[in-house]
Amino acid sequence: MAEETLKGCSDCAKKKAARWREDFPIDWEADNYITRREMVKYLALGSLTIAGANFLLAGVPHLLASPQMPRVKLGSLSDLAPGSSALFRYPTPDDPCIAVRKPDGSLVAYSSVCTHLSCAVIHDRQQNTLFCPCHNGYFTLNEGRPYAGPPNRPLPRIRLEQQGDEIYAVGVEV
Amino acid sequence: MSIRQKQGTTLFTALLVLIGVSVVVQLWLMALSVDAVLRHQTGTPLYAAIASGVLFVINGLLVLYVFHFDRKIKRP
Repeated sequence: MAEETLKGCSDCAKKKAARWREDFPIDWEADNYITRREMVKYLALGSLTIAGANFLLAGVPHLLASPQMPRVKLGSLSDLAPGSSALFRYPTPDDPCIAVRKPDGSLVAYSSVCTHLSCAVIHDRQQNTLFCPCHNGYFTLNEGRPYAGPPNRPLPRIRLEQQGDEIYAVGVEV
Repeated sequence: MSIRQKQGTTLFTALLVLIGVSVVVQLWLMALSVDAVLRHQTGTPLYAAIASGVLFVINGLLVLYVFHFDRKIKRP
């Protein structure tokens, strides 16, 4: 008895569905069907879009790069003894940097903002390296590359020029 | 269905798969470019864009060939 009632109800539902289909005669399956030709067209369009996006991405670094960096006098080389370091700001007053005179007398400069979580990087004179005390990150003095701790990107290098005894900051190499 | 039409269907399916694989490779190149841009590397996105452009040209030529072939077999 209960089964008959259920069967009756399912018939009612079918009838209702049939009436609904009569009112709105849309063949959904045919409507959603995508042929291979359409698929190929979509893929070719997708390919064009992705290639365009790739070219845009290739242009982004050139758009972001500032055209000219200021030339800022940092001081005299003789003021910085071999093995010591000095802090300065370049290219803007909001960009802290560190210049280190290596024991061999050559001078290197990097941004002193750690590439991990932006703590201040300091010069570790004993180990002759750049050190971030927040999370024990270490960077090489020659290239600014991380070699220990959590940082995995190198420090931006400040390009320096020497004129006589005077040292100038002329650019940033990211 | 004639033999020529069967050949056309097989060819169409094969080229569809080939173009699909190329698009996946392009997507991978785009992911690579985004990664390189975030790492401030200027060279890699350029090479990836050139490779992506070459893949698009190949895809375009394949699509044109497919539709040319399609028109040819439909001709009475």
